Amino acid sequence: MSATAVRVEQLAAGYGSEPVLEHVTLEARAGQSVCVLGPNGGGKTTLFRVLLGELEPTAGSVELSGRPAYMAQTERTRLDFPVTALDVALMGTLAAGRWWLPPRRTERDAAAVALERVGLGDRAGVRFGELSGGQRQRALLARALVQDARVLLLDEPLSGVDPASARLINRVFDELRSEGRVLLVASHDVESARSFDLVLCLNRHQVAFGAPAETLNRAALQATYGHELIVLEDGGGTRAVTVQHHEHGH
Amino acid sequence: MEVLDFLVDPLRSGIDRRALLELALVGGFCGALGFWVVTERLAYSAESLSHGLLPGLVLAALAGAPLLLGAAGGALVAAALIAFAARDPRVGPDTGTAVAVTGLVGLGALLALAPESPQRLEELLFGDPLGVTDGDLAAAAVLLVLGGAALVALHRPLSAAAFDAGGAAAVGFRPALLRLVLLVLLAAAVAVAVQGLGTLLVLAVLIGPPLAVRHHARSPARAMLAGAAVAVLAGVVGIEVSFHAHSAAGASVALALCTAAALGSALRPSPGAGRRGAWPRSRRRAQASPGR
Amino acid sequence: MPSPLDLADLPFLREALLELVLLAVTGGVLGAWIVLRRLAFFSHAAGSATFPGLVAADASGVSPTIAGLAVALGYAGGVQRAGRAAGEGGRDHGEATALLLVAALATGVILASDVFESGAAVDRLLFGTLLGLDTADLVLSAVVAVIAAAGAVALGRTWSAVGFDPDGADALGLSAARADLSLLVLVAVAAVAAIPAVGVLLVTAIYVLPAAAARMFTTSIRGLVACALGVALAEGIVGLYLAYWLDVPAGPPVAMLGALVCLVLAAATGRSAA
Repeated sequence: MSATAVRVEQLAAGYGSEPVLEHVTLEARAGQSVCVLGPNGGGKTTLFRVLLGELEPTAGSVELSGRPAYMAQTERTRLDFPVTALDVALMGTLAAGRWWLPPRRTERDAAAVALERVGLGDRAGVRFGELSGGQRQRALLARALVQDARVLLLDEPLSGVDPASARLINRVFDELRSEGRVLLVASHDVESARSFDLVLCLNRHQVAFGAPAETLNRAALQATYGHELIVLEDGGGTRAVTVQHHEHGH
Repeated sequence: MEVLDFLVDPLRSGIDRRALLELALVGGFCGALGFWVVTERLAYSAESLSHGLLPGLVLAALAGAPLLLGAAGGALVAAALIAFAARDPRVGPDTGTAVAVTGLVGLGALLALAPESPQRLEELLFGDPLGVTDGDLAAAAVLLVLGGAALVALHRPLSAAAFDAGGAAAVGFRPALLRLVLLVLLAAAVAVAVQGLGTLLVLAVLIGPPLAVRHHARSPARAMLAGAAVAVLAGVVGIEVSFHAHSAAGASVALALCTAAALGSALRPSPGAGRRGAWPRSRRRAQASPGR
Repeated sequence: MPSPLDLADLPFLREALLELVLLAVTGGVLGAWIVLRRLAFFSHAAGSATFPGLVAADASGVSPTIAGLAVALGYAGGVQRAGRAAGEGGRDHGEATALLLVAALATGVILASDVFESGAAVDRLLFGTLLGLDTADLVLSAVVAVIAAAGAVALGRTWSAVGFDPDGADALGLSAARADLSLLVLVAVAAVAAIPAVGVLLVTAIYVLPAAAARMFTTSIRGLVACALGVALAEGIVGLYLAYWLDVPAGPPVAMLGALVCLVLAAATGRSAA
């Protein structure tokens, strides 16, 4: 297992003639967590799609240890589809196995273990739509865990989540890091970015990448969020608060 | 026993026996496929496809060729024409589809109503289960076996994609490809089922059963099996009614399917369980999670 | 090939010609709104839903027009109450509606085998007739044409406003909701008026297809109405001639002609960016 799990060099990607993402260069080693900050439409989702292999980059290179696992936002799921939490976790096993066969014993066990890990062991048989917001996010995390990937891409995993679930999720993140995995977390929460190993600021191009102390300065945040940003300064230092425009259609 | 005799009488007639077999085979597959038709909101496509294949059917009838051939050909042409018309952004898919389907229905009617044509339009529009041929039975059997195998094999990817297209793409599936496979299965189902139910009524066997069971089924697999069972049962009821009341067979089965849907929708489980268990709940794909 | 002048010379054809001209007026005026407000499926459904009512009316001696209007208006009211008022988004008419129409057609054909001697009567209801038009049909079509024209003039701006911004329409008040209902009611009544000539299944042939074709080369509402009117008249008359020549009801040739014109125009003028 090489130490570098994710390496991206001068990546550019787009959906047509215009690139929506340019000049992205980053490197993350085993056990590191990267917070990906940026406004809606700034390229966070595009970056993830390239890393997942869904979108071909128009320039640059990507190196990954294995196929990343992806934790989606609840908004993208269909709450009225009749699947249980266990079924959702089992969907993660589709990445590895033979999808045309029903799930095997080992796959079921892995899914059950993943649910236990996120604190949903007793909720395995509950319909996904009947879970609370925080529980749903945890079920989607379990789906990602089951894939046993070295790299995990997490799309705003803590948005709309109650504090208890958030604590649990963060604990799992710490466990994953100590297991030597790499976490890339797209987030709108600038404050929480300080607790990550690395921060990547995207606004259609790479604004900054590095340790939080270096990247979370006023200039970089301004370049990333532009007018969406409100910076409050108090006695001890700057506290940045982002104001996001609620855009329909991710 | 009189009641038993009453029920078994249709089975004594070879014609009705074959009709029952055809409807059981077709209903078994369509009742299951219907779960995906409703989940993926393909009902309008199914309706347009079935109405639009009329010219193909009429041409086959005029040429003395097997109706299945005409239905399959008609379905292909209809699909292509609808796809072309529906994509025009100036009028929108609703109007575009209406243009294509109306034109095709007009063409079919023109061919069928020309004075030289043999009068078979009623059967083509409303179905003719009692006129099922050996070829039709074979086609229905093949549809059930091959189509059923496809549904079983694709069950997990289809569920993953229906639940979360992005997540399914992330584990390596292509939701667009899965949807295409569903459309192909739908076209095949329509082409085979149209013999028994006709272009105007065949939709009932595709969306009646899923609507009947949707408040009661707790998983996609159970919904599909229950749907198949409802479709077969409705077929039996329809033939029984048609036999004893001398009503049009295809229309009787269609009405039985619609009744099943109405009953299934009305007989919801208690409000507490019902609200949580009901699907599809609303037009919106997903509701905002709390706190957003 | 018969002479086109027969359309004016032969009495029964004169009536059919007049009927189609009247329907074309409605097809132009109302058709423009049907296309703008995405009511194509609604107009088709309103027509199809009347089928069992018309069969029953034939059996019981009730005027088919009354029966048809009762069903169509009931359907319009139901759709309005269900909140899918203008069918915005096109495909959202729902599976329940589709099954309702199947049930209506199935019920109609079951009743028909008791009521009618031959299948010809069912064909007449489904696809229209050349010979069976009477004065009552002409009167209804004339009345509908007048009301449609008047309604479009009076309510056109409201219909446009609600179509442009359905959510904001609430702010425009109760008058907007009523104006929208009036559009549905008008379309439903117009559908019933078209049934004798083009049949229950092909109402869209005269109300949607000409306006859709017009949409291919004009975007202004006024232009749309004028062009739709012209196209509907042309298609109605040529379609009638074809029906006379081929000895078929008027519905099918008008439908084919309408679709052909619309699709050729769509291909020729390409897909505009918006």
